[in-house]
Amino acid sequence: MNLLSLASKDIMRRKGKSVYLLTAMLTPVVILSTILLTVDNADRSLSALASKFGFTLTVQPKNIKVERIDQIGVVIDEYLPETVIKSIDEIIRSRTGNKKEVIIIAPRIYQRTDTLIRRLSVSTVVAGIDFRTERTAKPSWHLSSGRWPMGDEETIIGGAFARANNLSENAVISVDGRTFMVAGILENYNVSEDYMVFVPFSVLQDIFGKIGFVSLVNVQNVTLDRDRNLLRDVIDDLNNSIPNIKTLLPQQFSTMKYVLLKKTFKFLLSIVAATVFISIFAIFNIVTSVLYSRTREIGLLKTVGASRSQLLVMLLGEYSAMGLAAGIAGYPIGMVMTYILDSFVLNLGVGVRFSLTVLLAAIASGILCSLAAGFYPTYKLSGIKISDSFRTQWEV
Amino acid sequence: MNNSDAESFMELRDVNKTFRLPSGEVRALDGVSLGIEKGALVALVGPSGSGKTTLLNIIGALDKPSQGEVLLERVRIDRFSEEQLVQFRREKFSFIFQDAKPLRMLNVLENTLLPFTFFKPKHGNGSIKDVAIEIIKSLGLGHRIYHMPSQLSGGEIQRVAIARALITHPAVILADEPTANLDRDNRLFVIETFKRLSRERGITIVFSTHDLEIANSSDRIIQMKDGVLLKDGSSLCPPCPT
Repeated sequence: MNLLSLASKDIMRRKGKSVYLLTAMLTPVVILSTILLTVDNADRSLSALASKFGFTLTVQPKNIKVERIDQIGVVIDEYLPETVIKSIDEIIRSRTGNKKEVIIIAPRIYQRTDTLIRRLSVSTVVAGIDFRTERTAKPSWHLSSGRWPMGDEETIIGGAFARANNLSENAVISVDGRTFMVAGILENYNVSEDYMVFVPFSVLQDIFGKIGFVSLVNVQNVTLDRDRNLLRDVIDDLNNSIPNIKTLLPQQFSTMKYVLLKKTFKFLLSIVAATVFISIFAIFNIVTSVLYSRTREIGLLKTVGASRSQLLVMLLGEYSAMGLAAGIAGYPIGMVMTYILDSFVLNLGVGVRFSLTVLLAAIASGILCSLAAGFYPTYKLSGIKISDSFRTQWEV
Repeated sequence: MNNSDAESFMELRDVNKTFRLPSGEVRALDGVSLGIEKGALVALVGPSGSGKTTLLNIIGALDKPSQGEVLLERVRIDRFSEEQLVQFRREKFSFIFQDAKPLRMLNVLENTLLPFTFFKPKHGNGSIKDVAIEIIKSLGLGHRIYHMPSQLSGGEIQRVAIARALITHPAVILADEPTANLDRDNRLFVIETFKRLSRERGITIVFSTHDLEIANSSDRIIQMKDGVLLKDGSSLCPPCPT
């Protein structure tokens, strides 16, 4: 029989107290697991959010004259060469370490013109976009009716524009002599796009003789959404490397929410630290109480030849084993807690995923908490005089 | 063979032991000097608080004297460090305490072999498990080898303690009230076992007891009162307080 088998037999003998101690050790492990898993979930959720709520940055011409800004807020008659798209892609790839994350680059071209609706001429901002790219970048872009365009002769229109002109799907409008059928109507988002007509990017370039030009380039990248310092560096790089452009940083919802949640998680982690600290005291008290009841047993082990270091190994081995058990048991409980938290409070909507890192952190925290709480009383008791162990009260 | 014999196997010279308690100092041993020869069976008798247990603890290096010298085979063990004492106890001593019951999670055989959880056996001939079983059988526990302590009677539990004490082949066995709470048959069994071990194996056994019948079965009786040796001889004096 070795020290560890003696320790394991002792744990089994004291089932009631062992379960009691295990429960105390579970508390910090479960809280830690729950918070870490929630942070992990939120991180994934925010990646999804970042793609849901628009673009990371926008590149547009530098030194825009005020009169070029249209009443609905878009820049008209100022263009960049289409070649900037390649330069933008190269710079972002190099700065983000060529990660496999998708970099969505969505060029747009705007033109204010008169559209013919039921023989009436209506001044309109027409946007040339790549429908597939825009929809990838903005999955939240929804149609209130109709469908997405499938050909060069189809268009979608903003909800406010449709209502103002009493248009519905399958209506026909004419842009600078070119006829388009309204395939779908966008939901209202209270943005400038509510007042626009959208046609295929290359078609608009062709209609207005702007082949090789863009009004602006929207870019979306999750790595940049997460790291604002990197984003600032990229913006500087773009502005310095590509002539006559200005890169804007839209205060996007995703980025702001990410920063806000990061701060919240730091706060939660500080609560975890406080909980762990308090739990250590609770475990300390239970360990002390359990050890107190073992004073005579420790005395007996010393009389049969146990050294102080052997007793330390044996007793701390017991607590480490229980900390390990708490870590392993606490992790799935943490997963359940995370699921409940997500389902009823946070609604992150990404489910709960197994995380090896969190499991290892849970096990490590279980063992460390038990050792931190158990070391002092164990050290103290292992040093007790044999003669005292059989006849005096032991105090920590 | 009484008192400070120059050839004594074990020797105490003018030993004092004082405990500091909140209520003041208590002198548990006061100028105790004695020698014990190898293979002797010595009984310590006296009323509660007379210093029997303290004397046993000091003889067995479980406690250090406040003053005086403790020698075993002419080596001063009262000056040993804790590490030296651990090694020394493993090699020389075994203890039997009234309160030191077997570990509840181990069976009789495992309790007997408990010392070898912490150090290796010094005798290499044959399996140590076989040796343990032999000892257990010699103590009349052959039918209890794999029983748990909860299944044993008080007398059997004390025999397990004796088996555990014998497994390390000690030079000295120190026993504090080994027959307390036992019925007469078991008391006699314990003392007969002690006599046999002393006689056949040359093990020095020092034990404390309140039981005059048991004490009278030993080779030598040391009577104590208030930390002082009252009488040291082969029989009890009738007027001595017990």
